[in-house]
Amino acid sequence: MTTTTTRSQVKAEQIKPKIGTRILNSKAELLSGDLSDEINALLEERGVLVFPRIDFDDADQLEFTRLLGGVATEIRGETVFRVSLDEKVNDKVAEYLKGSLYWHIDGTMNAIPIRASMLSGKVLSPEGGDTDFANTATAYDDLDEATKAKIAGLRVVHSLWRSQFYHTPEPTMAQIEDWQSKGEAEIPLVCTHKSGRKSLVLGNTAHYVVGVDPKESYRILHGLREFATSEAYNYTHKWSVGDVVMWDNRTSLHRATPYDPASGRMMHRTILPGTEAWDN
Amino acid sequence: MIAATTLTELRHENLRPAIGARVLNPKAELLSGELGPAIRELLEERGVLVFKNIDFTDEEQVAFTKTLGEFAPERHGDGENISKITLDVKENPHSAEYLKGSLYWHIDGTMNDLPILASLLSCKVAAPRGTGNTGFCNTYAAWDALPEDRKAELKDLRAIHAVWPTVFYYEPEPSVAKLQGMRRVGENELPLVWKHRSGRSSLVLGCTTLSINGKTPFESAEIIHGLREWCTQEQFSYSHEWDEGDLVMWDNTGTMHRAESYDLSCGRMMHRTKLKGEEPFE
Repeated sequence: MTTTTTRSQVKAEQIKPKIGTRILNSKAELLSGDLSDEINALLEERGVLVFPRIDFDDADQLEFTRLLGGVATEIRGETVFRVSLDEKVNDKVAEYLKGSLYWHIDGTMNAIPIRASMLSGKVLSPEGGDTDFANTATAYDDLDEATKAKIAGLRVVHSLWRSQFYHTPEPTMAQIEDWQSKGEAEIPLVCTHKSGRKSLVLGNTAHYVVGVDPKESYRILHGLREFATSEAYNYTHKWSVGDVVMWDNRTSLHRATPYDPASGRMMHRTILPGTEAWDN
Repeated sequence: MIAATTLTELRHENLRPAIGARVLNPKAELLSGELGPAIRELLEERGVLVFKNIDFTDEEQVAFTKTLGEFAPERHGDGENISKITLDVKENPHSAEYLKGSLYWHIDGTMNDLPILASLLSCKVAAPRGTGNTGFCNTYAAWDALPEDRKAELKDLRAIHAVWPTVFYYEPEPSVAKLQGMRRVGENELPLVWKHRSGRSSLVLGCTTLSINGKTPFESAEIIHGLREWCTQEQFSYSHEWDEGDLVMWDNTGTMHRAESYDLSCGRMMHRTKLKGEEPFE
């Protein structure tokens, strides 16, 4: 007599050739843990995974996050962060979150960035409030060899203070000093992962290329940002309530599209602990 | 018999303690040319002069400009004409893009070694009340008020100015094509502190200032933005609320200015003339 074990399989469909996959398994299948290795592999390969209308509550989201690699705590110690531009919800943090309207990578000021983030759509804004993603690994792969050779070995200074100039171009000194206290770091422009894969590290925190004339530095960083966020490598997620989207933080630029901070838009975020430094 | 000579006198009232004066003479007296030297003197002293509801035609504005110094054509070969200043792309297809930078504090002519002396703006169509003011700040008065030890730290610094950094003020994620187009407009190294022939000094800064030589990017930002914040404090600044027919002129060698935000499709229209520079930055 043979015992039949039914193990669930990942049901997936590709969103665009160079970014994004939709996962169509049920909540129970996802929370069984059986699919975790395959989902992690897909996350690294595809950059962004979408779980349409999966309707996780916070406990489900935390459990799913734990199954994929663990739950990292947010800056104030919480495990579920409420992402909102509304100052009534997020007090001072709402100010920093304005930078999230521009292309960025989380954790560029940390030696070891978080591995991934997961967002659940709770309340949507009537207009705007999409989340855009761009795959900086597939974009890197498609650069011509001359460009790859030119940028190999370049190092970039990232800072929070610079990113805040995107939305506040004429700040006060008090603002600049507050922002500057949030850190600055020098990391490689091209990150080589343990897997051997390479990706671009860009975004609104990327201030300048070390040792390069400012004009050339801006041309490099904004030229690569323009290329990496172009049609082939980007995906815009238009939210439905209950959607969960997760992305490989090391290889994804992302941004929210503008929306009314008073619209009530609310996302719940969990994050996965980092496993690799930018500098390997 | 004694011949009665009536000499026209310049009459004015100050607008703010360290900036601005309103000139009270009627149009005919201004156009007579007799007041030219006195107006020039008052301009240097006050930074900004307001001629409320003076209602100059374009021809009168050109004629008045010429009583004050040498008329500067807008571009080479433009002749003695006014230029239309508007952010509306329908009206100004080639320049509206560059003028977006004018919403941030700046000095005109930082790409040239000899910047214009002054600009004169006439309001033809005003933006809705409370929007589209022009803000001015006095960079002579702001320099004078700095503590002596701060002046000593700043007095010999040099800065790089370019047009392309201004793009980031209103479009923080530009295309490379746009940056390269802006880069062709130029780049210039200038002293941070302009030591004038008169013996006075003013600060040279604004949204064209990219960096301070020999300083880290953060130190540069501290100097550039710290001084901009200092200069634009209330005691050194004046915001002009426009009525149609107003003319305002400002000393470009000792002020920064900006347009305050307004609906770009509201039809706001200014007519500008300029006076040729008489003194290089150094």
